[in-house]
Amino acid sequence: MLALFYFAAAIALIATAMALTRANAAHGLIYLIVSLLAVAVVFFLLGAPFAAALEIVIYAGAIMVLFVFVIMMLNLGRSADEEERELLAPRYWLVPGVLAACLLVELAVISFAAPGHSAGIVVSPKAVGLSLYGPYVLAVEIASLLLLAGLVGAYHVGRRFIDRSGGNKS
Amino acid sequence: MNSGMWQALSPLLALSGGTVVLMLQIAFHRNPRWSVAITQLSLLLGAGLLLWLWPGSDYQSLLLRVDGYALLLNLLFILAAAVTCWLSPAYIALRSEQSGEFFLLLLLATIGAMILAQAVHVASLLLGLELLGVALYALIAYPDRSLLPLEAAVKYLVLSGAASATLLFGFALAYAGTGQLAFTGLSESLALAGSGAYTLVMAASVMIICGLAFKLSLVPFHMWTPDVYQGAPSPVTGFLATVSKGAVFAVFLRAFLETGAYQFPIILNSLAAIAVASMLVGNLLALRQDNVKRLLAYSSIAHMGYLLIVLLVCSDPANHDLAVEAALFYLVAYTVTTLAAFAVLTWPGYEQYQGPEHTELKHLSGLLWHHPLAGLLMLVAMLSLAGIPLTAGFVGKFYLFSAAVTGPHWLLLGSLVVGSGIGIYYYLRVVYYLLRRDDNHALLPNAGWHESCLAVVLLAAVLGLGIAPQSLIGWIQSIL
Repeated sequence: MLALFYFAAAIALIATAMALTRANAAHGLIYLIVSLLAVAVVFFLLGAPFAAALEIVIYAGAIMVLFVFVIMMLNLGRSADEEERELLAPRYWLVPGVLAACLLVELAVISFAAPGHSAGIVVSPKAVGLSLYGPYVLAVEIASLLLLAGLVGAYHVGRRFIDRSGGNKS
Repeated sequence: MNSGMWQALSPLLALSGGTVVLMLQIAFHRNPRWSVAITQLSLLLGAGLLLWLWPGSDYQSLLLRVDGYALLLNLLFILAAAVTCWLSPAYIALRSEQSGEFFLLLLLATIGAMILAQAVHVASLLLGLELLGVALYALIAYPDRSLLPLEAAVKYLVLSGAASATLLFGFALAYAGTGQLAFTGLSESLALAGSGAYTLVMAASVMIICGLAFKLSLVPFHMWTPDVYQGAPSPVTGFLATVSKGAVFAVFLRAFLETGAYQFPIILNSLAAIAVASMLVGNLLALRQDNVKRLLAYSSIAHMGYLLIVLLVCSDPANHDLAVEAALFYLVAYTVTTLAAFAVLTWPGYEQYQGPEHTELKHLSGLLWHHPLAGLLMLVAMLSLAGIPLTAGFVGKFYLFSAAVTGPHWLLLGSLVVGSGIGIYYYLRVVYYLLRRDDNHALLPNAGWHESCLAVVLLAAVLGLGIAPQSLIGWIQSIL
């Protein structure tokens, strides 16, 4: 149990360190995704399967989508194809792939070999929902205002660049 | 979900409702006048509801506590937001194509500050801080015709994000050590905590202090201050200097007292070191500044250092009330004075062209002769920041001094005296420029009734708090 925790934590640390030191943003992002997956496993081991699922759906998933979007918007044309093939060379995905495979093996071990797999109380999605809309309902409301501030701010700051590239202003 | 809760939260709801109305107005019909009117009306409504709650409210929930302390500070933040809103329309109209979102973000930032003053839980602290911070990033970057605000916003975004992450890590460690997130719960388990938890809690406290000290721009976390102050549009700088710092200080003081962090000598010593460093470094760095906004940035570092004295004084239960009283009075005096200084820098006639702001000392040269009202306001603001008698700043500093002499805080007291002494030099330097007979004054401020009204109100507030502080002191004493 404890060994499994340290194993996942070590993968998270290694992947994050690699993500920070990559010169190419695309490679860094792949390590970041591995790191997020490892953190999800840590959450699972700590008795928070719901947080683990959210970590994968929102962080790993959203970052993946963002990554794909950026690639689609920035890299167009023939030369981009070459570059992309270069990016997919095995030496770039081998280490993240091995790290992710380790996590998969660990997940299999947790699921089949170690029945008492999580520490403390397992927090179910229902419990999370009840506390979010029970005692913490004000926090949810404040968080919605926070999102509104972020949205309006991003709209206004982003507009400046859209106008410039549209040629409305010199 | 009872009527007491709705009453206690009504000021927050008024501002949130104003945000929604304003958002709909911007979506359907853009009109700067309407936006300003809606903003001012919801601020007015919020202030009215706060006064209606005064002073009997003591509502406590898991996340927020609406007591006299929170009410007074909320009222101060709402008034500061109203002043900012009063100052900005002409300024923003010159520098941005759309001005509606400015007021939306201003309202959201004010809500964040109000939540901070009411927070009694780590979650509401963090959410309030982020709401204030995120709205401020966009407000700082608001003018879309120059690059300086964008640079300032990016600096603030990156550094402030790092500070928030540090703060969050600190909270996580505190939770790991005690299993509590509410301030009062933390204090109970701190008393019971064994030596294993002690290490964790100390590491957590250091990280939390670092995070909050960054937001208060205390030395050694002050690097961002001058650049952000200079780059941000002047009304926003005024808001940042008063509301943002006031709110963070308010929650710092409340967390410090309610979690019982004052029992630990290590925390007290590190706070004392930060306070002394801020007072001295802030004042020394301000000496050679030729830009008024940078000068005010360094002076704000020193002022936050003065305020930290209160935290150390109130660790002794006997002096607790006097210390909190001093902190509240000082915050009010500092807010009014700083707003007055930034009001002059924003003065729309002074900013008639769209280039960079004219905030060098030489641009203020002879202001008192060319435009007596603006010059007088700046003069009084500088004297008040320096702590000259008959101004609000003097009474505030006197309060801090009398709080500090109640205990053995000689080092802090000495730094306060030395810092104030150094401060007089650079504040009087501004006054010297104001009084110069200089004929080639390129930018003549042509103030309308709008600005003149505000100037008279701010002037009256700074002088009134200095000459007759009894009513405010009475108010503060009645809520403690």
